[in-house]
Amino acid sequence: MFTETGAPPSGALLNRTKRFLQSQGLRFDDDVEFTVNLLDEDGEIVATGSLAHNVLKCIAVKEGLRGEGTAATIVSELATQSFHLGRTHLFLFTKPENEEQFASLGFYPMAATGDVLMMENRKTGIDDYVKSLKKPEAGGKIGTVVVNCNPFTLGHQYLMETASSRVDALHVFVLSEDRSQFPADLRYRLVLEGVSHLKNVYVHKSGDYIISSATFPTYFLKESVKPDEVNGTLDLTLFAKRIAKPLGITVRFVGTEPFCPTTARYNLLMKKILPRYGIEVVELERKDQISASKVRKLMAEGKLEEIKKLVPETTYRAISDILKAENRR
Amino acid sequence: MQILEVGVAGTMESSDIMVRIEPKDTEGIELTLESSVGQQYGPQIRRVILETLRSLGVTKAKVDAVDKGALDCAIEARVSVAAFRAARRDDYQWKTKGAEA
Repeated sequence: MFTETGAPPSGALLNRTKRFLQSQGLRFDDDVEFTVNLLDEDGEIVATGSLAHNVLKCIAVKEGLRGEGTAATIVSELATQSFHLGRTHLFLFTKPENEEQFASLGFYPMAATGDVLMMENRKTGIDDYVKSLKKPEAGGKIGTVVVNCNPFTLGHQYLMETASSRVDALHVFVLSEDRSQFPADLRYRLVLEGVSHLKNVYVHKSGDYIISSATFPTYFLKESVKPDEVNGTLDLTLFAKRIAKPLGITVRFVGTEPFCPTTARYNLLMKKILPRYGIEVVELERKDQISASKVRKLMAEGKLEEIKKLVPETTYRAISDILKAENRR
Repeated sequence: MQILEVGVAGTMESSDIMVRIEPKDTEGIELTLESSVGQQYGPQIRRVILETLRSLGVTKAKVDAVDKGALDCAIEARVSVAAFRAARRDDYQWKTKGAEA
């Protein structure tokens, strides 16, 4: 047997991979960056696996060859490739019945829904993350908001002021995924500065654990499963069980979402899932229909004066710095 | 030897071991081992890993190992390479001057 790789896969290799996955009831994902196939003497695929960001996905082994060795070869290749790219914290999704097989390859379970099990290659990864977060010393009612803040607006500030006034402590998670116009570090800093007047607010980076390319994969195990439903379900289950519970969080605040259908759907799912784990979902009315997307639009049009009305001083300064730097170019 | 970044060596193929060494803030070695022969040789594998790190002067590190029945010499080699990589060092002494193997 020998291996073939594609980074990213294309042409005949891609078609072969897609056909093989299909025969296994799996779908090939568009965000795959690297694929490795194991072929037999006739050049037929007997096992395959792919990598997207720090997620191992589209892993399948032909029936009859499902001994440990075959999957180990695939996972080894993917891990090595990922380490070369500087990504050492890996995740994977699989069917719950495969848990033992991946456990033997150094992956540890994080959370499961009926169809999907999420694993990471650090035994105490998510627990260490929660332990590392700054938290209030006294108990009381503890709430949370999860935000992207691309960028931080007066709307976000209002949401956090209102939320923090209703609880003893508020954990604010700022998404760490760097796929937004404003880089993660800047978004985080602007939130920190924008809530510095609120003494009971704790601002955290969400890391790999909340709405990230790991917890929100586009990959699904069976074609019959509704993608959006499984995705959000796993993310929310992980949040409820492994993050909110140890932090004692009993309420999650969200802003009403009249603009973005994906967020609106996520909010709806949140109301379905979180109460099962004793977490109330409170929807707060948006202030004056301010949205970060409106700010980005005004920014593209260079309308700095109008932006001033929508964001706090700290965000305004950051935006004018960015625009100045762009003009200089 | 000071661990500065994540260093990885090895594979998860049969008779090999994949070792990942990461920086740790506090003194001590935190070792997580997953082994296909852990039942029989777990303590021995742990001993070889810890002894190799000790001889390299690594005192602060998080170590994750996935073993597939590697022999002691393979374990030692993989741990050494991972440690050198994690310490950003490439001055490994392949041969002692004048010594005959």
